[in-house]
Amino acid sequence: MARIFGDPRIILVLDALFLVVPALLFYMLSGALPSGIEGSLRELEVEALAGIPTAIAFMVILFGVLSEISQAAESMSTDLVNWLPITPSEYVAGSTMSLTYTYSFMLSFLLGVSLGPALRFGMILVWGASALMAVLSLFIGACVVELLRSVTNRISSSFYKKSGRSGIFVRLALTIVVLVFVQLLFSGRIVVYLLQGIMLTVRVAWFVPVVWPSLAVLAGSQGNTLTFVSFAGMTFAFFLILFGLAVRLRAIYWVPIPVSIRLTNQAYHPLRRITILPGFGSAEAAIFRKDMRSLTRRREMTRFLAIPFVLVVSLSISLLPISGTAVPEGLGFFALIPLYVIPLTVFSAVVSMTSLGQEGSAVWNIYVAPITARQLLKAKILSALLLGLAFSVTMATFLGVLLRIATVHIVLLVTLGIAIVLGQSAMGMYFGARFPDFREMIRSRFISVWGSLIGTFLCLLLAMLTALPILLSIYVRRIITYDFAIVTFAIGLILFFVGWKLAERQIRTLIQEIRV
Amino acid sequence: MQALEVSGVTKTFGERRAVDGVSLAVNQGEILGLLGPNGSGKSTLMKIIVGILKPDAGAIQVLGNDATKDPTAVKRIVGFVPESPRLYEFLSGIEYLDFVADVHGLVPSAKHERISHFLKALDLEGRENELINGYSQGMKQKLAIIAGLLHRPQLLVMDEPLNSLDPRSARIVKDLIHKLRDDGVATIFSTHVLEIADAICDRIVIMDAGRVVEQGSTGDLKAKAGTPGSTLEEVFLKLTGTSDTREIVEALSH
Repeated sequence: MARIFGDPRIILVLDALFLVVPALLFYMLSGALPSGIEGSLRELEVEALAGIPTAIAFMVILFGVLSEISQAAESMSTDLVNWLPITPSEYVAGSTMSLTYTYSFMLSFLLGVSLGPALRFGMILVWGASALMAVLSLFIGACVVELLRSVTNRISSSFYKKSGRSGIFVRLALTIVVLVFVQLLFSGRIVVYLLQGIMLTVRVAWFVPVVWPSLAVLAGSQGNTLTFVSFAGMTFAFFLILFGLAVRLRAIYWVPIPVSIRLTNQAYHPLRRITILPGFGSAEAAIFRKDMRSLTRRREMTRFLAIPFVLVVSLSISLLPISGTAVPEGLGFFALIPLYVIPLTVFSAVVSMTSLGQEGSAVWNIYVAPITARQLLKAKILSALLLGLAFSVTMATFLGVLLRIATVHIVLLVTLGIAIVLGQSAMGMYFGARFPDFREMIRSRFISVWGSLIGTFLCLLLAMLTALPILLSIYVRRIITYDFAIVTFAIGLILFFVGWKLAERQIRTLIQEIRV
Repeated sequence: MQALEVSGVTKTFGERRAVDGVSLAVNQGEILGLLGPNGSGKSTLMKIIVGILKPDAGAIQVLGNDATKDPTAVKRIVGFVPESPRLYEFLSGIEYLDFVADVHGLVPSAKHERISHFLKALDLEGRENELINGYSQGMKQKLAIIAGLLHRPQLLVMDEPLNSLDPRSARIVKDLIHKLRDDGVATIFSTHVLEIADAICDRIVIMDAGRVVEQGSTGDLKAKAGTPGSTLEEVFLKLTGTSDTREIVEALSH
C-alpha cells in the first residue's frame, strides 16, 4: 500500500482524478441550481477562489507538522540522506518538492471543486489566478514546515536537556493538542468558520504575508491588474525569503541530535514489586511497565494516545446539534450505539494490534528472555485492556453528560463498552501476533498493512456482533433491558476467551523464531 | 556435563545455507572463540544456541536442556550479547536493567547489588538515569553486556562484545570473562580481532561458509595449518581461503 502511494506516477493520476471529477460534478451541480441564486453563488465562488491559496498553505503546514510528530527521532537522525553529499539548498529544495507533491492532491481537489462553477460563471481567469497563487502558497507552506523542522531540531534538543521528564509530558500534551486540532479541520462546521475567518482576515490584515496570495486573487477578480501583480510578486518574494531562511537554518541545525534526558537525580533503589493481578509475575509486570513508558515517551506512539481525545472531539462536534434535546430513549439511543461502539472498537483494536509490533528491532530483548507465550500475552493484553476500559468509561460518561442520559443507561453503555474492549483486546492481540511489523522506519506501522485492514474490519464486525443484543433490545422493546445486556457481556467474554486462545497460539509460533 | 553440545546443526534462509552441519562442544569453564569471515554463519549459530532461531536440523543441548524443545529453560541459564544490540531507547539505563532483571525474576536485593556493581565497574554510574537514546554506541554496548550477565548465566554467548568499547571497559570485560571461567561459566565469544581471540580464548573454532573448517587451541591450529611460528591471522587467512589479499589491495588501490 505504501509502495503504491509512494509512486509519483500514481500521485499524478490521483491529482488528475481529484481535479477532473469534482470539476465535472460541480459544473453539473452549479448548472442545476435555480437561476435566482446565481448572484450569491458568484460571490461565494470569488470568496472560495480567494480563500484557496491561504487555506492550502495552512493545511500543508498542519499536515507537515503532523507527519513530523509521527517520526521517530532515532530514524530521523540515522536517515541515509544525512550521510549523502547533499547541500542544505538541495536538501530543502528536495524536501519542499516532496512535501508539495505529497499534498498536491488537496490542492487538486480544491481547484477541481472551484473549477466547475468558475467555468459555469465565466470566471476561468480568476480561477487561473487562484491556481497560480495556490501553487505558490503550497510551496510557502512546505518552506514553513522545513523551517519548523530545523527549528524544532534545535529547540527540542535544548528543551529536553533542561526539562527532563516534564519535557516528555509537555511534548505529549502538545502533540495531542495538534492532533485534535487537525481533526477539527475535518469538521464541515469548523471549515466554514475557518474560511469565513480567512476572508475576514484577508481584508483587514493585508500586511500579513500569508494572506497576500488571497489578496492577489481578490484583486484579479476585480480586474485590478496592478494590485494583482504587486501581491503576486510580493508572494513570490516571500517564498524566496522563506526558502533562503529554511536553507540557512538547515545548514545550522541539520538533524535532531539525540540528547541525554535525565529522568531523575535520585540514586537507584529497586522497589519491592506488588503483584498487580493474581498470576501476574515480575516478568509480566516488567513488560507492562515498559509498554506504558513506551506509550508516553515515544514520539511515534503519541498518535495512539491521542485517538481517544480526537474521537471524543469529533463525536462532540457531530452530536452538538442534538445536545440538549430529549433524553435518548428508544430509537434515539439506537443511533447513539454506533457512535459509541465504532470509536471504542477502533481504539481498542489499534492499541492491541500494535502492541507486539511496537517492540521494533528491540524485540530481541523479548526473544532472549525466559518468558512464555502466555506471560507475554498477559503483559501485553493488560495494557490494551486498561487503556480500552478507561476510554470506554470516559466516553460513556462524556456521552451521558452531553446528552443527559439516565445513569442506568450510562451503566448499560459501560457494560457494552467492557464487553467490546474484552473482545477487541484479545482479538486484536491475535492479529498483532499474526501480522507483526517490527521494522523501524520513518513512520513505523507496527502491523502489516494487510494485517491492519483485515484486523480492523473483522474487529468491527465482531464489535457489531457484541452490540447486537443491545441493539435488538432497543429495536424490539424500545429500551435496553438487563437480559439483553447480559447476553452482550457474555458475547464479549466468549470473544475474549476465543481471542485469548488464538493469540496465545499465535504468539507461541511468533516467539519460536526471531524475524528481524 | 558439557556446557554446550551442538550436533549437526543446519539453518537455511531461502536458498542460502547459513549454517551447514555444525557440530561443536564447550566445556564448563571454557572460553571458546568463534572466528570466521563476514557471513560465515557465526551470528546465526549463536542465535540458534540461545534459542531465538530454530535450526532446520540438528540438536543443541545446553547443560542438559534441549534448546529446541525447551528454549525457555535454556534462556534462563544463558546470557546473550548480540552484535549491535538494539535496546529500548525510551527507557533510562537503569529502567532497562531493571526490566531485564525483572524478566529474569531477580529478587530486589540481588537486583540492586548486581546492577550497582556492574554500573560502577563499567563506568556507567551517574549516567544510569538518562534515556538510552542519548547514550553513545559504547555505552549501549556496556548496557547490553550488563544485561547479558545480570542473571548469573552459566553459558555466556557474546557476538563481538568488545565492539565500540573503550580500552578500559574492553579490558574489564576481558578480565570478567576470565573471572567467570574460574567460576565455571562457559563462554562463546566471536570476534574479528584475532589478537583478542588469541589472548583470551582457550579454544578456537574457525567457520567459513556455514561450516566449521577447523577447531582447537591456537597452538593446535598453527600446527594443523602447517605454519608453525606464524600468527593466528595468517592461520585464519589460510584456512578461510582469503590468504591472497595482496592482489585485492592492488586492485582496490587503482
